Amino acid sequence: MTVPKKENEKVIPFRFIPDREGKLKRIGRKDYLLMNDAFYTFFERSMGEFTDFFLAIKDKKKILGCRCTQCGIVRCPPFVTHCPDCAFAATEPIEVGQVGKLLSTPPITYFANSLFLEKAPFGRGRVTLAGADTALSVMLYTTSGILTPGIFNKDTEVKIIFRDNRMGEISDIFCVPTAELKPAQIRKKGLLESELNWASPQEPKYGMPAKDDIDSFKRTLKDLIKIAMDMNKSKRVRKAIEGWKRNIAVKCKAGEFAMYINDGDFKIAATKVKKPDFVIACVDPKDLLDCLSYKGAVTDAIILKKLWMSKNIEFNTAFKLDRMARALAREKKEAAEK
Amino acid sequence: MGRRVGIVGAAVTPFKSKWYEKTYYELAQMATRDALKDAGITAQEVDAVVYGIYNDIFERTCIPEHPLQAVIGMQNKPGVRISNGGATGAYAMSVAHAYIAAGRYDTAMVLGVEKATDCFDFTSMSSTPEVIKVIGWSGDSFFEQKIGWTAADSYAEVVLAYMDRYPGDLKPEITAKVSALLSEQVKTNRYAQRQFDQCAPAEVMNSRYIVYPFKELEICVYSEGAAAVIFAEENTAKAIAQRTGQPVVWITGVGEANEVSFAGKNLNDWGRIKSHHVAANMAYKMAGITNPLKEIDVVEIHDAFIHQLEITMAEMGFVPHGKADSLIEDGLMTPGGEVSVNPSGGLIYCGHAVGASNIMSAWSCRNEMIEKQYRRGLVHGTGSTIAQYGVVMILEHE
Ligand SMILES: [Zn+2]
Repeated sequence: MTVPKKENEKVIPFRFIPDREGKLKRIGRKDYLLMNDAFYTFFERSMGEFTDFFLAIKDKKKILGCRCTQCGIVRCPPFVTHCPDCAFAATEPIEVGQVGKLLSTPPITYFANSLFLEKAPFGRGRVTLAGADTALSVMLYTTSGILTPGIFNKDTEVKIIFRDNRMGEISDIFCVPTAELKPAQIRKKGLLESELNWASPQEPKYGMPAKDDIDSFKRTLKDLIKIAMDMNKSKRVRKAIEGWKRNIAVKCKAGEFAMYINDGDFKIAATKVKKPDFVIACVDPKDLLDCLSYKGAVTDAIILKKLWMSKNIEFNTAFKLDRMARALAREKKEAAEK
Repeated sequence: MGRRVGIVGAAVTPFKSKWYEKTYYELAQMATRDALKDAGITAQEVDAVVYGIYNDIFERTCIPEHPLQAVIGMQNKPGVRISNGGATGAYAMSVAHAYIAAGRYDTAMVLGVEKATDCFDFTSMSSTPEVIKVIGWSGDSFFEQKIGWTAADSYAEVVLAYMDRYPGDLKPEITAKVSALLSEQVKTNRYAQRQFDQCAPAEVMNSRYIVYPFKELEICVYSEGAAAVIFAEENTAKAIAQRTGQPVVWITGVGEANEVSFAGKNLNDWGRIKSHHVAANMAYKMAGITNPLKEIDVVEIHDAFIHQLEITMAEMGFVPHGKADSLIEDGLMTPGGEVSVNPSGGLIYCGHAVGASNIMSAWSCRNEMIEKQYRRGLVHGTGSTIAQYGVVMILEHE
């Protein structure tokens, strides 16, 4: 048994901690004081009766439930020591299977809180593991790229995957669909994350462009450059990308162009980015133009597989692009109303 | 059921995305001052106060109500704080009702306040991710917090399970129409955070997914603000009404239920929000209501998410399960329909200042009943993971 430890990690990542300072915010003719602050508390938290459950995950790659000695119901997670349905008869630990079915179609979090921004998009569902009667909440991933609706549904069969580096907490496990695994992997108990085939992102290939494609690309790129210039003039748009820097290569069937986000500045240019932070791919740049014109969202286009993005973590930038589109649309609407 | 209890005064502060100019002390006092003025009484005439404050972290103190006792002038009076997730305000009103109905006090004020957006994420330089994080601390701390539990994803679980069970309901074009309708209704609520944020159905459809299946314009917005209502027993209420000239709106039914948060055999009826069903039936029984659609004129429902609003309307018996879209398709809640739903704009457009939200709903329901001469209204609150908590209150106006 090893002591749980993540090397060089603090319980609060340093980057979350603001400087000790304040500022003034002007409302009408008066300044109001805003103070950077925190409401922090550290814990040496007892896992008490759940100790065996978490240690089984960490050290034995096993999932434990508890079985009522009277009615025989198997609860996983084992959230009670005594069965509330049987006048609190005792329960006993019992190992459950590592394959199960989803209780219902799971939600997918695209806009996560600050602790999970880098894990999004992710699903969270409830799996009834073989031998259990109740469902365990699990994080859900696919090995096939960005998680989109339709991969996980009610009754989808999933398999528990153990993280290689485990702390003895619920985030040590997650599930993938068994449809993405080989039979031997499905059978294996204690399957590790490193044993999965996390395919390196494959840029979609669109084939040779026709003349129409090239003409349409050129026209659309002009519109994109124009909308970027409008955005660059908008206060709200600039605020949405304050402090954000990304060089993005956009690859389409008929050509490639660049989007530059640079701390409030936004520019689209008919150039190739040498070392892009990430790649967006789409057959026709019109799909992107629609999004930036607030006729559909970038995030949605990715979810609906109209746009392809090379990095899961850059979903955050997709959100920024959507916010920019919305801000510009609002400004135009307000101007029209005046 | 004890003594008759009526609402004799109510007030809200403006709901805003951020109140730079006020702390929660002052917001609480603003709502109190205005509610007392509305009832034409002084703080000295209020026997007890019930505070609705959801989250200690938002207020950045663990007994956030304690300084308010002095701020609102309640020296040596009983004060109890309710914290029941999103249903905080509704549960606070239920407790005040019980106190008075039982004869313990003749008058009580229910005061809800929340300062939700002081918390701030310095990595994105915005409030929202931190607000969601703070609410994320409300999830199960052993099994769910560390795998990304949020209020939105837990409500989405229920909604998707409902859609598994009743495929074809909650169509995207209908949820978009509900949201658009609420955005029209909010126009007359001058206290709303998004009074002038009218959205066409297409705009709702085109807004981005936050947590699948919820889109940005189908989700309540977090607000800062306060709301207060004053309850009184029958004789006191009638005396106050005579002085103010405002009719008493009576509370004739109250019901509440909490589901369990785990799922599977012998646990939740997955794909339903049973707590809302149970709470509504309890309240209907107390008020003698047998056909809510025919007998209730106005509903102020806790619409954390449009889809949940629709499911809750089914759970409360206004539409059959699996046919919640008939709220729009059969024109039940569209202008001129059988029931007015969220004339305040609801939490999606008026805003969600959590502890104050359901009290705002009661304020709006009472206003509508008095202004439009409605006979019966319903106020609903929900909260906690998977819409676990449900509270329903029936209001009546002679
Ligand atoms: Zn039992």
